Amino acid sequence: MLRAAGKYRQAFLLGLQGSLVYRWNFAVRGFFSLFHLAAVFILWGAAFAGRDQVGGFDLRQTLTYFTTILFLQFLISAFNEDYQISEEIRQGLINQFLLKPINYFLYRLSIFAAARLVSGALILLPLAAAYPFIHDALAFPGEPWRLAAAVPALVLSALVQFTIAYCFGLLTFWFLEIQGLVVLSMAVEAVLGGQIFPLDLLPPALHETARLLPFYYQMYFPAAILTGRIGPAETAEGLALQAGWVVLLLLLAQALWVRGLRRHTAVGG
Amino acid sequence: MSAVAQHLRVWAASARYSLTRALMFRGDFIIWALVELFWMGVNLLLVEVIYRHTDSIAGWNRAEMLLLLGTSLLIQRLLMGFFWSGLYDLGRNVRNGHLDFFLAQPGSVMFMVSTRKLDPDGLVNSVVALGLVIYAAGELGLRPTPGQLALYAALVGCGLVIHYSVLMLSTASVFWLTSAQGVEGGYFSLIEFSRMPREAFRGAAEVIFVWLLPVVVVSNAPARVLLYGFEPAWVLGLAGFAALWLGLAVLVFHRGLRRYASASS
Repeated sequence: MLRAAGKYRQAFLLGLQGSLVYRWNFAVRGFFSLFHLAAVFILWGAAFAGRDQVGGFDLRQTLTYFTTILFLQFLISAFNEDYQISEEIRQGLINQFLLKPINYFLYRLSIFAAARLVSGALILLPLAAAYPFIHDALAFPGEPWRLAAAVPALVLSALVQFTIAYCFGLLTFWFLEIQGLVVLSMAVEAVLGGQIFPLDLLPPALHETARLLPFYYQMYFPAAILTGRIGPAETAEGLALQAGWVVLLLLLAQALWVRGLRRHTAVGG
Repeated sequence: MSAVAQHLRVWAASARYSLTRALMFRGDFIIWALVELFWMGVNLLLVEVIYRHTDSIAGWNRAEMLLLLGTSLLIQRLLMGFFWSGLYDLGRNVRNGHLDFFLAQPGSVMFMVSTRKLDPDGLVNSVVALGLVIYAAGELGLRPTPGQLALYAALVGCGLVIHYSVLMLSTASVFWLTSAQGVEGGYFSLIEFSRMPREAFRGAAEVIFVWLLPVVVVSNAPARVLLYGFEPAWVLGLAGFAALWLGLAVLVFHRGLRRYASASS
């Protein structure tokens, strides 16, 4: 057990080194994301002009939600993991993992965790720089239970994010080019994950439907816990649903891996 | 043959090649057309959701906002259709020395680099964006005169020139930075501002995004022509911005080109 953990610890450390090489890339990306935050502040500021609340929340709560979403995008989102997995399959690099006593999913998950640790830390720099200008616009609820509930929600969200990206990457066993499908799904994930607008602003029937889908648990759910958009009962129910989706997605990933390997032909060294 | 006619012939040949290629990879074409359509749908959905809860954004009602969004998407899709692939490849070509191929072509290097590829999926979606503009104009009961329509088309053209220039300036940074990947991302961050009414910008945001960077006027000026007719300040302002930014892009590209040292640059 400890030896197995040691393998993935090494993979994590390698991932950490690899991500640190691209630290400037993450930093530039983080800096430009402040433009996005500025656009969000301007748009929603204009939408709130002359009214105290939109959808039951005030402007500060809404801006806090979007700032949290921005941080979570760097902390738990899958960036290009699907593309990396796809390339490893396409170029035959995956063959080396088939011959070694290593679980490819856990190997990739370790690298994902390292990459998010780096990007999650680096986004704090532009956010810290912007803090003097935006802190008046932020209003976190300050209830301790929210932080306690957010920790498992964030871990499960990261797992949902990674496993969906992993499944898309494995589609390369069937399709030569998956980039179009990935970007297509990004649009769906962005909307149903609450990155474009808080999902509670949708009509109630659509919001309820979105709550049953895995995308809801990618980003909106932990952000809604942290920013006070959902209460304790909905949080508890959401955690159970989120755990259910993680199990289902892990089963899907395993099924795709087993079936995909049957189609895979390893050629060369 | 005049230089303009010669360049047009080269462009027509590139366009024919791109269309043939799109027909060869039809599945790819359909997927990428859907990708763009979905992302346009995302923007539309955002507007619809906000207007479920409010009647106005900075004094613009839902239909006016759709007109602005449609105009912004139209300019962006035209950019994607005509120039995006060429400019995206520029960064890579400078790094690996493939820019040599363009230097050897019979014409302006900047023109050849920019028009090498045409993306039919972007052009298909520009028709969808135009459909959104027509729908919004119908909702508003607008009956634009031929003069207004011609002016709208001319200002969309100016907007395209500005978008192209900003993207060229971002990408040409590769001559100095070696990699322009993050900088290109900056271009997409700026596009977001073009979907908002100019009246939403106040204070420092107004100075930066309205006056220093032409990201707001680029879509607001054409949309206002359909809404309010000819407003000299907006029309001349956008035309002036277009000339200024294109001049800057030409200058920076050619300065950068002097630094290019083939595969070793």
